[in-house]
Amino acid sequence: MTWPPALQEVIDEFSEIEDAMERLEVLMDFAEEVDELSEEEWSDENLVKGCQSRAHVVLEKRDNTIWMRAAADSKMVQGLMGILTIAVNGGTVEQVLELTPDFVLEMKVLNTLTPSRSNGFRTMFDMIQKTVKEMK
Amino acid sequence: MSIRDDFPILNRKVNGESLVYLDNAATTQKPQIVITAMNDYYQNSNANVHRAVHTLAGEATEGYEACRNELKNWFNAGRVIITSGTTESINLVAHAWARANLVAGDAVILTEMEHHSDIVPWQLLAQDIGIELRFVSLNEDLTLDLDAFEASLVGAKLVACVHTSNVLGIRNPIEKIIEMSHANGAKVLLDSAQAVPHEKIDFKDLDADFLACSAHKMCGPTGIGCLLVKEDSFNQMQPFMGGGDMIQTVTISGSTYQENEHKFEAGTPRIAEGVGWAAALKWLSKIDLHSEHLRLLEIARWTAQQIKDIPGMTVFGRHADGDSAVVSFIHDSVHPEDMARLLDARGIAIRTGHHCAQPLMQRLGVEGTMRVSFYLYNNQAEAELLIETMKGIVERFS
Repeated sequence: MTWPPALQEVIDEFSEIEDAMERLEVLMDFAEEVDELSEEEWSDENLVKGCQSRAHVVLEKRDNTIWMRAAADSKMVQGLMGILTIAVNGGTVEQVLELTPDFVLEMKVLNTLTPSRSNGFRTMFDMIQKTVKEMK
Repeated sequence: MSIRDDFPILNRKVNGESLVYLDNAATTQKPQIVITAMNDYYQNSNANVHRAVHTLAGEATEGYEACRNELKNWFNAGRVIITSGTTESINLVAHAWARANLVAGDAVILTEMEHHSDIVPWQLLAQDIGIELRFVSLNEDLTLDLDAFEASLVGAKLVACVHTSNVLGIRNPIEKIIEMSHANGAKVLLDSAQAVPHEKIDFKDLDADFLACSAHKMCGPTGIGCLLVKEDSFNQMQPFMGGGDMIQTVTISGSTYQENEHKFEAGTPRIAEGVGWAAALKWLSKIDLHSEHLRLLEIARWTAQQIKDIPGMTVFGRHADGDSAVVSFIHDSVHPEDMARLLDARGIAIRTGHHCAQPLMQRLGVEGTMRVSFYLYNNQAEAELLIETMKGIVERFS
């Protein structure tokens, strides 16, 4: 799969890290990339359901491009949101729908993509694509 | 040879580090003898059980029924129904016994520390036949409130109670619970999934009416467990799942059923798993479970104290004599999921989440906890590595 250039840059950054804990530390640094929702904006409507952590995502369509705002109580989940922000923000509906979630496996920050309670990322990814699909 | 040498999985590396497996309350690892027994069954004896007369069918039947015999000896139990695990065993009591013997308005007593597998089957039955569910609350120290329990017993027909909490490690005073329940005319179903790996239970001596447990929490395979049933309750149970193996005769106008445990084991059973579980029980019988339990509980106590000393940590549970070697805890700024992933980066496997006990989480006022749980192959050095690694994580990331 060919990734959008900004996402490919992130994948390359992770591929240079050998230590698993350092990789997670870098992942947490990506939490800064999120256009953060304030806690007052956290609601049941924007909650990612079935996650172990509390994660909220809001998507907007402006001039035919998608923009994401989000927040989580887990720094790592917010780090994943930061990477998703890089993947999604400014993309068209079609570009967002073309994305597949396996870039996190390439980055070696997650070891499975099976949707489950321990894999909020997949739930979040699916929720984003579903919301974006409805914006078509 | 140490116990550890029997577990090939302990030789593997996780993220370049030696595996430290501390998620034993979820499932335990398997000794080589179990893996070999299951492989050997598939390589040499695989056939369906109970019906055919050929050699392989005989070997398969012997292997599967040997599991039941091992279980009868292990637990000193008369009736052993083989199921897919604790969850199915509890559902079996709900469908085969409760549905046939309870009516609308009858009360079933549960506790606030039940696993979902001992809550949801009763909620489903309550929706169906209108039984009343009463939940017994916990004391400040998270032990069961026995006064509230006694008060709840009026008119109760069944007490379905966890033997040892999978979250807190607290062992309930089940002997007392059984005595009080019987004095009030209620039967007792024990969810002993977490107790069975840590204590040798004499089912006849204990005098419970039903006891549910799983093989995979005591070094056996996944997908198999059992329900121990007292004879009078066994005779009150009606067939629940219909199919092959549970019948005597079938005609288009009706069927008659087996008289023994097979009556509740419709379909091809878990033959390889039965062979594996029998091997696990043989392996366990060579171990002094009581002294191992004391050793593991000491490690859990040390771990709980060390965690309490880390700034921002709260530990749940008391680690009294008889409790299992489980430590549940939270940190005020490091999310459980983040902690678990960071520990995994160093090869240490712990569990996070609500542990299928959401009502208990609500009682504790948390959404989830981190949990470490020790078993036979764990040692003090692993607990020390866990503490040292967690201290480093808290220092770096909180």
